[in-house]
Amino acid sequence: MAEKPKLKVSFHDFTSCEGCQLQFLNCEDELLDILGHVEIVQFREAIDDKSDEYDIAFIEGAFTRESDRARLEHIRKCAKVVIAFGACACTGGLNVLKNYRGVKEAMRTVYGDQADWYETSVALPVEAAIKVDYKIHGCPVPKQEILEVVKSVVAGRTPRIPDYPVCVECKLKENACLFHKGQYCLGPIARAGCGAWCPSYGGRCYACRGLISDPNNNAAKDVLEEFGLTVEDIMQEFRLFNGVYDVAQPPDNAHVKSC
Amino acid sequence: MLPHILPKENFDDFVAWLMTQGRVAAPVAKAPNFSFDVLVDKDDIARIRMDYDVTILPPKKYLLPSYETLLDFNGPAPENVRAEIDARPTVLLGVHPYDLHGLQTTVAAFSQDPADASVLARRKATRVIGLNIASYANDEQFMADMGTVDPPDGVADLFLTDIGDRYFVEIGTEAGSEMRRACDCFRPAGPEDHRARQEYDERKAANFKKRLPYHVRYLPELLEASYDSLLWDAVARRCFSCGTCTNVCPTCYCFDVHDNLNIDAASGVRERMWDSCQLEVFAEVAGGENFREQTASRLRHRMFRKGKYILERTGKPGCVGCGRCSVHCVANISILEAFQQIAGEAAEMHAT
Ligand code: SF4
Ligand code: SF4
Ligand code: SF4
Ligand code: SF4
Ligand code: SF4
Repeated sequence: MAEKPKLKVSFHDFTSCEGCQLQFLNCEDELLDILGHVEIVQFREAIDDKSDEYDIAFIEGAFTRESDRARLEHIRKCAKVVIAFGACACTGGLNVLKNYRGVKEAMRTVYGDQADWYETSVALPVEAAIKVDYKIHGCPVPKQEILEVVKSVVAGRTPRIPDYPVCVECKLKENACLFHKGQYCLGPIARAGCGAWCPSYGGRCYACRGLISDPNNNAAKDVLEEFGLTVEDIMQEFRLFNGVYDVAQPPDNAHVKSC
Repeated sequence: MLPHILPKENFDDFVAWLMTQGRVAAPVAKAPNFSFDVLVDKDDIARIRMDYDVTILPPKKYLLPSYETLLDFNGPAPENVRAEIDARPTVLLGVHPYDLHGLQTTVAAFSQDPADASVLARRKATRVIGLNIASYANDEQFMADMGTVDPPDGVADLFLTDIGDRYFVEIGTEAGSEMRRACDCFRPAGPEDHRARQEYDERKAANFKKRLPYHVRYLPELLEASYDSLLWDAVARRCFSCGTCTNVCPTCYCFDVHDNLNIDAASGVRERMWDSCQLEVFAEVAGGENFREQTASRLRHRMFRKGKYILERTGKPGCVGCGRCSVHCVANISILEAFQQIAGEAAEMHAT
């Protein structure tokens, strides 16, 4: 039987900290197994040679400059499967925060008088420019989900990505709930898959993996308000990672996306 | 089998002896709550909190772990498939009466055809040491209504009641009787001990007031009458569909099974994980149709399972009144409150 040709995998980065690519390299134990089935052709963090022939493209980072668009479209043309990799790529991630300060103001804070030398605009998910086939959420992405997606794409089946709240994994780990400790947490509306990473270490969940598809936002606002948070506090909490969702928009404000 | 006495000064020796019989899971602090945890070594005995109120997860997790591997396979042919059953000898120490009832419900559910080999194997390898309670731990419990204030027959091998400087030990099974004989920490109970045990029961009777405004036998019918009530919508407005209420429940037993394939797409493991009827994805069936799409109908379904369906099918309440679902719900949705409210709902419906 002839060996099946290995699928070619590439990694591309846009506006990000590259932490998610490091997570991929952290899958050391499983990496050898994976490399028996795929070949990595473009990976700035690991190897040098560049290639435009790839089957699976991992895109890390947010779409923050109009000039990114052509690059993204090129990747979409070359790859059979495009995977948005990490919070930055899936939702814009933390980068979206600058949308709320106004892009100009954000540029002045970061670059001072040199602000005009750089090109930037509002931070958006990769999906705002091209169609993506799968999303691996998280800041950074959880290892087990990288493996699930890679294995599934190679085997040609749909990956199992949780669409239920972080509370599920949190309770299965039998963590004491932060609400019981007088703190608050976005776990009830945040997408699971991280194994309730933060609450397991006593930290609250900021929903870095985005929101579940049908979050009860009104309940979230009610419950957080009962814990003494103002609407503005609650918006801040939502915005940290989920500024692109409507839930993070104040009710009387036009869509911030277009600022 | 006549009761015995375990003097508290012998308690550590007793636990040390239990540890020679298998892994011992006992209540320990998990601030601000408690949880059952396996004792790693003798130093861990000091962590045991026999004064715990109620644990986050019920001891069910030792019969039906939240995650487990059922099979290991190396290809589709039967000779490549290996069942994995992890049924280590285990002792559950300090299980309250409502959780003993919960264990009974779990075992009953998994004994129905087709019987579940791993849950039943674990039950067989498990010894249970019950612990009496004298009062409610919080306002959400209603064991007096659900008939779970006292232990069910035949679940606990030994059942401990704290009577001051000693435990009054009732022997519930043949295995319990053997434990009593094999471990030299006990002495026979005398008249003083019996009297103290009687007084404990009198205190219990005074403390455990019923909390439902009707007898539990009417619960199924009252639920039935409230099926179309707006109550469910009102409560559901706050519900996150987060599944916490079912995950912490001693009588819930829904699970999800899936194959976790390795990258070669031929080998892998079959895993089982707890599932929850409260999750939006739970009722999704092939074709993408979801027969309990609304949060309100999912929430009502849970209350009906707990108060009607299971009771009707098994004659035992599907709810043991432990209050965990309500205490841990971040939205403060209370099953006790719902069960209290339906009485008024039904009366109103009949009036019209
Ligand atoms: S999602 Fe987080 S870890 Fe990943 S690239 Fe963006 S900022 Fe870095
Ligand atoms: S700590 Fe957060 S994630 Fe965990 S149960 Fe509470 S709200 Fe849910
Ligand atoms: S607990 Fe929340 S913030 Fe933490 S990793 Fe998981 S989704 Fe992200
Ligand atoms: S714990 Fe509360 S919020 Fe979560 S699903 Fe249950 S009732 Fe709804
Ligand atoms: S439904 Fe709630 S009160 Fe009843 S047994 Fe389950 S967790 Fe306890």
